[in-house]
Amino acid sequence: MFGWTGNILRVDLSNGTVKKEPLNLQDAKMYLGARGLATKIYMNEVDPNVDPLSAENKLIFMTGPLTGTFAASSGRYEVVTKAPLTGTIGASNSGGHFGPELKFAGFDGIIFEGKSEIPVYLYINDDKVELKSAEHLWGNNVFETTDEVLKETSMDARVACIGPAGEKGVLFATVMNDKHRAAGRSGLGAVMGSKKLKAIAVTGSNSVKVAKPKEFLESCIDARNKLKAHPVTSTGLPTYGTQILINILNESGALPTRNWRDGGYFEHAEETSGETLTEKYLVRNKGCFGCSIGCGRVTRIPEGKFKSFGEGPEYESGWSYGANCGVRDLAAISKANFICNELGVDPITMGCTIACAMELSERGILSKDEIGRTLKFGDAEAIVELTEMTGKREGFGDKLAQGSYRLAASFGYPELSMSVKRQEMPAYDGRGVQGMGLAYATSNRGGCHVRGYLTSPEILGVPQKLDPLVTTDKAQWLKIFQDLTAVVDSAGVCLFTTFALGLPEYSAMLRSALGWDIPDEEILKIGERIWNLERLFNIDAGFSKADDTLPPRLLEEPMPSGPAKGKVVELQEMLIEYYQVRGWDENGIPTDEKIEELSLR
Amino acid sequence: MKVKFYSYIRDYTRCKAVDVSGCSTIRELLCRLCELYGKKFHDAVFKEEELSNEIIILVNGRNIHFLDQLDTSINEDDEVTIFPVVAGG
Repeated sequence: MFGWTGNILRVDLSNGTVKKEPLNLQDAKMYLGARGLATKIYMNEVDPNVDPLSAENKLIFMTGPLTGTFAASSGRYEVVTKAPLTGTIGASNSGGHFGPELKFAGFDGIIFEGKSEIPVYLYINDDKVELKSAEHLWGNNVFETTDEVLKETSMDARVACIGPAGEKGVLFATVMNDKHRAAGRSGLGAVMGSKKLKAIAVTGSNSVKVAKPKEFLESCIDARNKLKAHPVTSTGLPTYGTQILINILNESGALPTRNWRDGGYFEHAEETSGETLTEKYLVRNKGCFGCSIGCGRVTRIPEGKFKSFGEGPEYESGWSYGANCGVRDLAAISKANFICNELGVDPITMGCTIACAMELSERGILSKDEIGRTLKFGDAEAIVELTEMTGKREGFGDKLAQGSYRLAASFGYPELSMSVKRQEMPAYDGRGVQGMGLAYATSNRGGCHVRGYLTSPEILGVPQKLDPLVTTDKAQWLKIFQDLTAVVDSAGVCLFTTFALGLPEYSAMLRSALGWDIPDEEILKIGERIWNLERLFNIDAGFSKADDTLPPRLLEEPMPSGPAKGKVVELQEMLIEYYQVRGWDENGIPTDEKIEELSLR
Repeated sequence: MKVKFYSYIRDYTRCKAVDVSGCSTIRELLCRLCELYGKKFHDAVFKEEELSNEIIILVNGRNIHFLDQLDTSINEDDEVTIFPVVAGG
């Protein structure tokens, strides 16, 4: 077998049994791996109306055919299940070394079903697979859990686990691996917790075989040379990390500020920027498996009340806790981010939920008594304290653990949640970056920036400059970005390679790894198939055109200042065009012709 | 006018921002800045006579690509931002 290992592990947590099954090659050819293949397997086996936290739900960890190979930045794996935060398909991927190690042990993926009575963890050592008690680990944070599991299994193992947030059903709990890397969004860690599955440790001694080693090597070297030649992947990301974008989005007038209330300009952005992080707190950069970029941040806050050490913050958490909470203290932002990693919490939804609570509090909707403290925009101590309380579901943290939509709705103000399909939107204001507005409204997992990252052409001019203030052509571009991203995610390589690579490079790596002889367009078609498959899941789960929308603030409140002053997101015209470009009907449902064209169902 | 620098452009300018007056287009401004900051800055910003495709310049938040490129006119109260193509996510 080339690219794939050909083996899937099925773990029944209710009975404590483990089975090795052959990979369905037909599905693998149609859906590639990771995000696409796991979604296909999930839809074959689970009712879309399942309660995400019930025993009937399943949780799938899946690598791609390029994971663990010499392909550029090939450290990715995907976690797929129905997402508790959104009720949509949940798919989050992560880097580090866990995914490649699973391949080295001889498995493409793991399907978890049922629910254990006692906390357990899974230990995979090549063909030897066993469930072990995790009763003594329950309640431990991510770092303690990882260290203890390594001690009990093998110091060479790679560990994915949940923290207290996943155990306690925080609706945006993460699955963490290699301590600091996260399959971060939509609350997949809460599903793992509901199954009483604390961790997975894996160590393997095999390698991944490819069909045409010489051609594969050549295509990988070509891709790596391009990564080394491009300013984003050779200089920008390694030097400053993703947080370099803070100043740039701020100067472009699209950095959402104070729960998106104050427009796209944060007056203290420089203090929270990637430049400041590098100057004051960066220890070094860090890469995942097989990565030449190294965008990770190893960070130390050396003194003061937020003294701490960890990894990050990334652009998203730098913004969610920074500009979005009106906080200018980078030490506090970093500390809050580290706590997210320790407790297993998504920092985007966490920061945005605190920002929402700050607005509810300033408006007098939430009282000091309900929160247990005063809460205003700009409160650096609050972001740290409330993150800790949420991860442990203590006090007001128990309410924050539901995310901003349920929080704001419980007080009668759902419109103050800056979310799409109940998931908080990331750090690009669609009023100033119109295509991102469409990307949020149509993402298959709700408010999300990594399904069709139009910021790249609209703000950075990569691969081509698109005017961020107009709607022209955004639907066509978004479709291509969404389809290509589905290919990249499902192949098992990092999305950040797309700044320097395109369809021809991914196709060359996939063809030579898998021994395929198909044109680039057919490979992009796999991405389109995956996108439509996810759409079909969401429709079956009860989502409709009415859910492809944005918070009223973006549709009705004009941007108060900056280059986009006076603009709202012109969603309706883009959405109509988008459905047409996708070959969907006017209600956003894939037509029979489209379903047939993509061989779905 | 105020000119702001970001990312590794600051390695060449050794400052975060500067006030410049008497320039009526972006091209004039860049030439003035090249006099101030020397060859490394020049080589980063220009590719022959044109703007390097690795540099982005905003005037009051608008990319000059969507204005008049290097011929974009500027006033004393405008704010100009210069940064390299960097990304995140």
